[in-house]
Amino acid sequence: MGKIKVATGILQGCFGCHIAILDLHEELLDILSSMEIVRSPINDVKDVPEVDVGLLDGSVSNMDNENVAKIFREKSEKIVAFGTCACLGGVPGLRNLFDLQSVLNRGYIETESTVDGKIPSSDEIPKLLPYVKALHQVIDVDYKLPGCPPTPQRIKEFFVSLLNGREPVLPKKNLCHECLRQHKEMYVPKREFITDSVHSITELEHIDETLCFLEQGVLCMGPATREGCDSRCIKGNTPCRGCMGPTDDAMEQGAKMINALATILPAGGLMFLEDVVGVGYRYSMPVSIIPHVMEGK
Amino acid sequence: MNIGLFLSKVDGSVSKVIDLKQVATHFAGLPLIKIYDNLLSTSAQKEIAEEIRRNNIEGVILAGQSPLFYKKVRNADKIFDILRKAGINSNKIAVVNLKEQVALPHRSNSEEATKKAKVLIEVALEKVRMSKRVEHVGVSPKKHVLIIGSTTGGLFAGQRLAEKGFHIFYLNESLKELQGEEKELLRPTLAYLRNNDNVRFIESSINDFYGYPGNFRVQLANGEKVRAGAIILSIQKDLGYTAKLYPFLRLEKDEEGYFKNLFSDTATVETAQPGIFMIPHADDMSLSSIISLADSANTAVNKLLDHGDIQHELFVSEVDKEVCGGCGTCIKTCIFRAAELDPVTKLSSTNFKRCVGCGNCVSACPTGARDQVSATTKYLISAIKILSSYSSGNSPKILFIACEGCGYPSLDYAGKIGVEYTSNLLPLSVRCAGRIDTQLILEAFNYGFDGVAICKCHDDHCLNIVGNLDLDRRANLFREVIRSRGIEPERLRIFGTTECEGGYCVENAMKFIEYLKGL
Repeated sequence: MGKIKVATGILQGCFGCHIAILDLHEELLDILSSMEIVRSPINDVKDVPEVDVGLLDGSVSNMDNENVAKIFREKSEKIVAFGTCACLGGVPGLRNLFDLQSVLNRGYIETESTVDGKIPSSDEIPKLLPYVKALHQVIDVDYKLPGCPPTPQRIKEFFVSLLNGREPVLPKKNLCHECLRQHKEMYVPKREFITDSVHSITELEHIDETLCFLEQGVLCMGPATREGCDSRCIKGNTPCRGCMGPTDDAMEQGAKMINALATILPAGGLMFLEDVVGVGYRYSMPVSIIPHVMEGK
Repeated sequence: MNIGLFLSKVDGSVSKVIDLKQVATHFAGLPLIKIYDNLLSTSAQKEIAEEIRRNNIEGVILAGQSPLFYKKVRNADKIFDILRKAGINSNKIAVVNLKEQVALPHRSNSEEATKKAKVLIEVALEKVRMSKRVEHVGVSPKKHVLIIGSTTGGLFAGQRLAEKGFHIFYLNESLKELQGEEKELLRPTLAYLRNNDNVRFIESSINDFYGYPGNFRVQLANGEKVRAGAIILSIQKDLGYTAKLYPFLRLEKDEEGYFKNLFSDTATVETAQPGIFMIPHADDMSLSSIISLADSANTAVNKLLDHGDIQHELFVSEVDKEVCGGCGTCIKTCIFRAAELDPVTKLSSTNFKRCVGCGNCVSACPTGARDQVSATTKYLISAIKILSSYSSGNSPKILFIACEGCGYPSLDYAGKIGVEYTSNLLPLSVRCAGRIDTQLILEAFNYGFDGVAICKCHDDHCLNIVGNLDLDRRANLFREVIRSRGIEPERLRIFGTTECEGGYCVENAMKFIEYLKGL
């Protein structure tokens, strides 16, 4: 059997997910023995040849992204939404909190350092879509591999599954399942909040590396976030920001986190974070129940 | 699934407003549709059972009277026994309130009423289709009765039960020596009770309470554990004591804050909680009234406990172990301590003896691993979508989410007292305000509702103790999310009814619609 042919492409993203492939280091060579990357931004081939697997990194934000996505769909047997932006819309999706005109005005005219700004317009520049979308909202997607970026280990497992003819599956549970920190208060069947106050991590002198962040009054998105990132941030003593997105059985991350927090942490303390929306929807705005501002409400 | 739709004219009160023939034609695809003058007539009840068997019906929709009617009118609930005997699972039965929530309030607009009736029946169809069968557990009833409060009524009821061979536990915070006339009257009864080995008087208070009718478990402050098949509440009017008992017994309270019976005229000794009975107390009550209430309570307890086996339906919250990650949110949320950590798997599980099925943990669960047997999240979303299909022309359309405790009865009450309101208020019943996952509110706006009104119990009247509080907390955090989508946060309005059965909610909903028109 010949090698599996793979093409990768970048939409609106930061290339971080591509870099994560390279982060496999020598292990990449093992995979490449049965897989050939025939097209990627790294080898700078412009056209997309017919491939077995097409990997797209980034969200769909402009007409070029949309076009590239459609070409990939046409040329690929299987399409993989690769990374959080492709799966959930990611950080670029936060622009959905504003209508397009406001975004352009802010970016090109209203920024404090801009003098005589003007919104660029040319046939050469792809037009921005009114709102940012996740890949599956534009083309049919066969597999999703979320993570900002996905861990090299996950990427490897994903390819190994494909190469062995197994369906790659996403974990279904939340991050608390793989998080190794201890729960104490969270398991006490009492209605009192687990802490008296809420802190931002920067104001804490000491963060216990073994105890649940929430139990230290630090907001952690872990409960409303899919596992599968190897709890990298947690291991680095930083709370989860939710890049893996919601679990399959929750409809969205933001509302679910609010529902949960209402009975865990003192709400007044939470408000102090002052950014319920940014925290709840940092990575998943375009796949949330109301994926962008509604006009006329 | 074969679903049978039974439409009731309710002796003309529904059929003179709603064109039931048109409704029947609309649902002609169903295997069985019948229109009766009244579903509770002798002939209708007989025929319904036969038709179900003949057509292999697995799910039933009763469209006519309010679900509350079947609780309130004595023996009206027997129709559910008939359905169950015919093989229908309780979770495959839906009641559509065509009378109180459509025909009466929209009596001047037959066309809209008929249209709305169709939409509400669609919702019920969805519920029956999407619900799984509820499971049962058999409880062999304990022949023990806990009587809280040795008042005159309680003593008389206990004496009768003791004679029948029941073990009786009297629970009082402290026992007072009887005085004067009362002492004269009760002396022989007390002598009988005190000299009976099966009767005990305990001075203590309740620390923990859970279980089913037939087998309640009561942990007392003095360390004793009492098991009782039934409870009789026979306390004097005492707000302090009522407040202490409330979190355990979860009985409805009247406007003044005292426990109240299920219905003052038709279900005098029954309460909203099966297996808990009460002898209502009033200062000016005649002795003969007290004795007859005591006898009613005695009969009710006998009826309940005189079975070899009581079937208890597990309308609880379930956990999908494939999804639960063991974060503990539900454990913190459940006031009934029904959410537990499985010590081996470190995942959450439900203690069915404690779970009251309110659904607060289902809202709280950040993974969606928990779901409510009586109304799954998928059903509620589907219901919102169907309700949103009702077109109200140019006027704003609101989703009116009503909790079973206060919101729903309020809406019924408004219909009953003749309040007419516009048909652009689309009701969705939920078990408790705590069940309102904020995702549902987003879905409502997403499907095109102009506003969401939530009608819930007043502060300390929530039958699930903290459901309304948790809704408020969630809503406070949530408004910012609505605002971020360009939706005016005022489009979500939450009313707590001051009087649980007043027309207050509808009045507010109409003001809300007026407000939305102005936006």
